[in-house]
Amino acid sequence: MEVIVFVKRVPSFEEEEVRIRQDGSTLDLSGIPFRMNDWDSYALEEAVRLVERFGGSVTAVTIGTDEDDEVLRRSIACGAKDGFLIREGAFVEPIRRAGLAKALIEKEGLRFDLILTGVQAEDDQFASFGGILAGLLKIPYAGMVVGIEEALGDSLTVRREIEGGMQERIRISLPCVLSIQTGINQPRYVSIMGIRRASRVERKVIEGGKILSAERSRLRLERFFYPEKKERAKMLEGDLLGVCQGILGILREKGVL
Amino acid sequence: MGAFLACIQCGRCTGACPESGITPLNIRLLMRMRQLGLPIGGSVPWLCTCCGTCTLRCPRDVRPGDELVRIRSGLVEQGDVPASVQKALEHTFVHRNPFGRSRSRRALWVEALPFRVPHVKDTEERRLLFSCCIHAYDERCMKIPTAFATVLAKAQVEFGILYEEETCCGNEVERLGELGLFEELMEELRKTIGKYGVREIICLSPHCMNAFKVHYGLPIPIYHYSQVLARLFDEGLLKAEKGLTAPCCYHDPCFLGKQNRVFEEPRRVLRMVSSELIEFSRSREISLCCEGGGGRMFYDPDFVYERRAEKRILEAETLKGGRIATACPFCLRMLGDAAIEKGIDVVDITEIVLEVL
Amino acid sequence: MSYNLCFAEVRRGKFEEKNFDMLGLCSLLEGQTFVLLPKSEIEVKGVERIIEVDLREESFLSPLSLVVVFEEVRKRYGDPEFLLFPHSSFGMDVAPYMAGYFGFSFLSDLSSEREGLLLKPFFSEKALAGFQFEAPPPYVLTVRSGSFKGLARKEGMPEREQLRIAILEEKRSFVEYVSEETPDVDISKADFLLSIGRGVGSREEIPSYEILAQRLKATLSASRPVIDKMWLPKSRQVGISGRTVRPKVYFAMGISGSFQHIQGMKDAECIIAVNRDPNAPIFQYAHFGVVEDMHRVRDMLLELLGKG
Repeated sequence: MEVIVFVKRVPSFEEEEVRIRQDGSTLDLSGIPFRMNDWDSYALEEAVRLVERFGGSVTAVTIGTDEDDEVLRRSIACGAKDGFLIREGAFVEPIRRAGLAKALIEKEGLRFDLILTGVQAEDDQFASFGGILAGLLKIPYAGMVVGIEEALGDSLTVRREIEGGMQERIRISLPCVLSIQTGINQPRYVSIMGIRRASRVERKVIEGGKILSAERSRLRLERFFYPEKKERAKMLEGDLLGVCQGILGILREKGVL
Repeated sequence: MGAFLACIQCGRCTGACPESGITPLNIRLLMRMRQLGLPIGGSVPWLCTCCGTCTLRCPRDVRPGDELVRIRSGLVEQGDVPASVQKALEHTFVHRNPFGRSRSRRALWVEALPFRVPHVKDTEERRLLFSCCIHAYDERCMKIPTAFATVLAKAQVEFGILYEEETCCGNEVERLGELGLFEELMEELRKTIGKYGVREIICLSPHCMNAFKVHYGLPIPIYHYSQVLARLFDEGLLKAEKGLTAPCCYHDPCFLGKQNRVFEEPRRVLRMVSSELIEFSRSREISLCCEGGGGRMFYDPDFVYERRAEKRILEAETLKGGRIATACPFCLRMLGDAAIEKGIDVVDITEIVLEVL
Repeated sequence: MSYNLCFAEVRRGKFEEKNFDMLGLCSLLEGQTFVLLPKSEIEVKGVERIIEVDLREESFLSPLSLVVVFEEVRKRYGDPEFLLFPHSSFGMDVAPYMAGYFGFSFLSDLSSEREGLLLKPFFSEKALAGFQFEAPPPYVLTVRSGSFKGLARKEGMPEREQLRIAILEEKRSFVEYVSEETPDVDISKADFLLSIGRGVGSREEIPSYEILAQRLKATLSASRPVIDKMWLPKSRQVGISGRTVRPKVYFAMGISGSFQHIQGMKDAECIIAVNRDPNAPIFQYAHFGVVEDMHRVRDMLLELLGKG
């Protein structure tokens, strides 16, 4: 099985504050650590496991600047056979990202049975790359995949996550695009020495502008806003009855009761 | 390399191992398996707390503790690491601390002080006070650098810190076998220390002290803060002006005592400030490991057993000491967690010192 | 006259609540509102037209089917200005595919509108990004749940028409729904956790907390000391060496907040802590705190819930 997995290097804001600059349209990213998008590490692990199971190979692709090579090296250390960096500027809108991916596949003649990517990126949360790419390539798509169960000839049985703790099982024919949900597997640990060794494997750099001419943008990112602030640490005082009524009130307000 | 070939299977290592008998970890058996070239995997290698007792007791210089680290490093390269350890290592890679907290919040503990703590580069004496990641990010342990900084200020000892440039020293990373990551951490931190012309380092954790002394090869003196406290009392720069506190039991941290031979200084300090210093039945070289080291802060096995920390607390209950004193943040948390239910206080020696100044 | 096409999510015959966000947004837009549904008896008020597609529900949910359906709708009415979807598993499946397939502009997870800009969350929910479309319509949008619901919709009954279509589900087909119920509960998937700690005191007290959890419709979890004593199985453990959880509500009773435990739940949306020790570390992380014996709180809550 030939798998292409699309991975992204993102700023990790889990423990950090977002600092919007004066101009409102850029962020102060100093001191913010970067790493592979959490969802993509699950997609990568799933890709590697599939080829461990069915034979074949994994190719990793990322779109960005030279620093994004880090995620290609990590992918190779994890088990991908090679990588591609499509060099393109800062914020790339979803349609163009998918367009570049399609252009790379065509220009490099990349053969594939399956394309995997994470459900969404932690930075822009668009959750659309896989779907748009499948639409452009006119091949089937399924998102929020939590399990790849069977491979029967030229189709797969997969489970998709839907709301309310439910899942749906579908059959989808190959070649197709799947976006992978977290928790589908336990991504393996990739050692630092492994990542260093991966530097010896070729990662081809392709200029985005050369494979897909710059088109008029469809979506313009104007500026950022902060979300509304939240309160913290309130002690409930009073007698037992009052306090417990208070607790139930909070639970109702949160919608869990 | 190959030191395990000298092993004669005497069993002195397993005899004193804190995990032996209550968990599947049998260090003597692992040395035998190494001799026979048998593969070692699964969860057993991750049970070791790296207390160093086995290496201390071995009559043939096999250094089983180090051999276990080598076993771990093989598993690390294979990606065969328990999930919680994996998370800690990945966090250390990205955030330079195993808890995945923000680097910008490394020195929040200074906010509790009434005076400004300078960056070490802005000091004359270039004396660096170095905190462990757990001092930086844990609510309970954060009180210790604040307490120690207060003591230094009272004794008018100049010091500085690295603020956001302070990163994980990598001691536990090295003991977990992720040698590539350890090298990165060490190179970075050595460069920072060199860049600012640091002339002396006071470590708040025996783990950091161990990394600096044993691995970093720094040409400057490295002290554990208990050594500094002892010297300050000796030189009369600190005095127990408010009288002496209640009796306490001292718990020897493994990385301070067993591995770096610092037994006396914390005791000297405690005798200066408390009315009675009580010894546990297992103290000094045979101190009972709290099970926080060697990655055990992150890795918990699937099965249930009597934790060594609980055992320590049960003994403390029978001794007439009011509380347990220790000089390592890992011990503080591991013993502290176990002591909550029994209502026994676990405190750092600095906190006791502050009570009497 | 321009129109906006809402792709309604219908599951097991139910018109999902989240569809109302699309309809709410439509009240802010120009043009008529058309709603696309699978074969069903569902009525929708306040829109101009309902197009009921002669497809069973499971077929309707597939992006490949909806592409064919849309081709038909386009033939009849021309291109809509907006193609709208809920930002749900269904919407996230279909909307981007449509955008790629037809080459339409796309924006997802729309949560509000400000200063003429369309806002969506960015950076793990820590910021909002404001966008403008720069290309001509059609625009494909997915709309975040709870974002535009309360908005007034037009009065009146819609026109209803049928759309016959032949779909061969070759490339993607629905097999069945799968429930996530496993004998071993996955506490990391729960929205609401009732978590008990050392303070519970003895095995005998556990059943009453199981009852409380049931009454609250919460999933029972615990901190390590309870697991160590084997009063609950390991699958219920929250903490570094158990599960890391991020529920909507984490209700901790008798949990002091050991370091390892905190690491496993500190990102819960709302943390309520009950502990008789006012200095319990967990109060540093909780949003709401109660200094009280956990058993007394349990008894009072059971009484209040029994009445209600």
